Amino acid sequence: MSSVLVLAAATAAAEPPSAKDIVAAADRARNPEVPYRSTLTLVDYVRGKAAERGVVLAVDVKLDRSSGQYRNLVRYVEPPRDAGKLVLLDASKMWFYDPASRTSVRISPQQRLTGQASDGDVLTVNLAHDYDAKLLGEETIKDADRAERDAWHLELRAATDDAMYSRLELWVEKQTYRAVKAKFFSDSGRLLKVAYYRKPAEVLGAIRPTETVIIDAVDTNLVTTVSSADYRQIEIPDEWFQRESLPRLKEK
Amino acid sequence: MLALALALLLAGPADDDDLDRIPADEPTAHVTAAANGSVDARAYAEDALTLTTARDVVVPFPQTVPRAQNRTSLDLSLEWSPLAALSFVASDRVDVVVEDGTDVLSSQTIRNELRELYLGWEAVPGTYLELGRINVRNGAALGYNPTDFFRARTLIGQPSLDPSVLRSNRLGTVVVRAQTIWNGASASLTFAPKLGEPPAIPGDVGGLDPRIDATNAAHRGLAEASFAFGDLSTQALVYLEDEGSKVGIDLTYPFGRSVIGYLEWAGGPEKSLVARALEYGTKTGSLPAGTRTPIPTDGGEPFMNDLAAGGSWTIGTTLTLNLEYHFHQAGLSAADWDRWFDAGRANPAAAGALWYIRGHAAAELEPLAMHEAFVRAAWPHFVVDHLELDGLAFVSLVDGSTLAQLTARLDVSNTWSATLSLSANVGPAHSERGSFPQAFTSIFELVWYL
Repeated sequence: MSSVLVLAAATAAAEPPSAKDIVAAADRARNPEVPYRSTLTLVDYVRGKAAERGVVLAVDVKLDRSSGQYRNLVRYVEPPRDAGKLVLLDASKMWFYDPASRTSVRISPQQRLTGQASDGDVLTVNLAHDYDAKLLGEETIKDADRAERDAWHLELRAATDDAMYSRLELWVEKQTYRAVKAKFFSDSGRLLKVAYYRKPAEVLGAIRPTETVIIDAVDTNLVTTVSSADYRQIEIPDEWFQRESLPRLKEK
Repeated sequence: MLALALALLLAGPADDDDLDRIPADEPTAHVTAAANGSVDARAYAEDALTLTTARDVVVPFPQTVPRAQNRTSLDLSLEWSPLAALSFVASDRVDVVVEDGTDVLSSQTIRNELRELYLGWEAVPGTYLELGRINVRNGAALGYNPTDFFRARTLIGQPSLDPSVLRSNRLGTVVVRAQTIWNGASASLTFAPKLGEPPAIPGDVGGLDPRIDATNAAHRGLAEASFAFGDLSTQALVYLEDEGSKVGIDLTYPFGRSVIGYLEWAGGPEKSLVARALEYGTKTGSLPAGTRTPIPTDGGEPFMNDLAAGGSWTIGTTLTLNLEYHFHQAGLSAADWDRWFDAGRANPAAAGALWYIRGHAAAELEPLAMHEAFVRAAWPHFVVDHLELDGLAFVSLVDGSTLAQLTARLDVSNTWSATLSLSANVGPAHSERGSFPQAFTSIFELVWYL
């Protein structure tokens, strides 16, 4: 938070921050740096109507200070058929664990996108680490609630193999360094989804967005909301983030 | 300038379109994850109707193939942690099975499958001790797992031929296991004591018998170590058993963003599949003493290799393909298959022993053919969001015959799923799959998650 203030002060002094600094500050404004557990509720809206079935995920998150990237353990809570399944997301180490078969299967970054857990770490992607940023300009845009925000408009291109998307566009509010909106593009340049970050609230020592609205640009009937709640700081040993620990995490 | 104006004109309405799509109503209430709950239970009820089309085969099948079977099951898995470091795990399924050719109220009608029942204790942080019946499973591959050393005779009634389904329904082995996990590595020791004599194949699966003899017919031990070299995930295993100690290794490695490669190998001194099957059959009384081998084997125990190598490839965000090559050195070569069919033709009385070899391999979960390919395609959101389409095929590289299955699963609601599986044994009459009496099988399954 303090670095956000420093950047804000720099902005006030009319010294424009670099694109990299803006993205890094937006990452910090979005993601707690302490290890924590939260609950994500995913609700699909088809043609504007909420689906009866939601997906509830319990997510453990820890910043890997050596790589600067977030490590995620995503556990299915609902629906009942998926309860107990786990997805480990740690840079290129991704494993899916099914408690019914006691089996861990390694999955690729692309395969991860085929499941709902792909939205599980939508709030904890460290964009500054995985992407090269370029400042496109300053704009006034509407946020999810149609309020106008003065924002930096940035373009991000994948800089590491860990990057989930080849290109993003990101709008970061100048006053708060909070992300307002993002667009995600495929390798071929096709727009895949548009995300709006909204419902800022006090979370683990800072005001952070607690809901992401993901507008599917491919299936134009589909919108997904990812709401986060129940944040609490917890101890997460590093050894949890490996295949052999997955069958044990139910015991934690 | 015109281009810029046009772009702005186009961009404005598009962004407003985005905002118009944001739902006005509030999402459903949060469900607080029972992250530290002391009891975790999963239960479902299932009904599976299996219909089979049989055909005449060149080597007569010694049993009648049921044309129809209905299995109704109640499946329960429970984990209870009375103390933070202590856990009690139970996993059980009760089946009511009705099939043609068997009395409705026979000893085979009600079956209880006690898959797991064990106590776990985290003695010190990261070190675990466990005692009881545990599904001990290893292996990175999908279609065949050479390092899955505790797999023999663990199968129970199945609604699918899909290996991922088969793995979900199997009997655990009574073991005492110690495991310690560090950051980036782990090691474990497992000992499975002999608690009974080897049972006959096919065994009596009715009643409440936990079938401990099926999974604990010999003293066995397994030492395992896992570690990572960068992106390479490695597991090394040493398996000890009076008849058939082996060493093994599992490797997985990502290639780019969409491919995971894996290799699984195990090797050790071992008799051929035919020799082991006949030895087991005579030992357990399924075959008459002195049954002569219809396929010549030298009875020796040379070093045999088992291998499953392949990868998964995800295309776009929809389809994942798995392709594997399986090598089972103790399995049947092309010449062995010729001898199998020649022996059946020359002496119909040998059919029992010939089919016993194949039944034994199925019970041991090992491939019959020495060379085999496996392909699987999974399409999670096929046409509509809650429909998954899966296809798989085991292809004998010895004779080209194939076991193929197509499965469609529709998640009707949060608690109901319906699945239709269609499978076929395809190939010439004198081939591995073409010689099966089951030509075509369809399974309709309904699951209610409680």
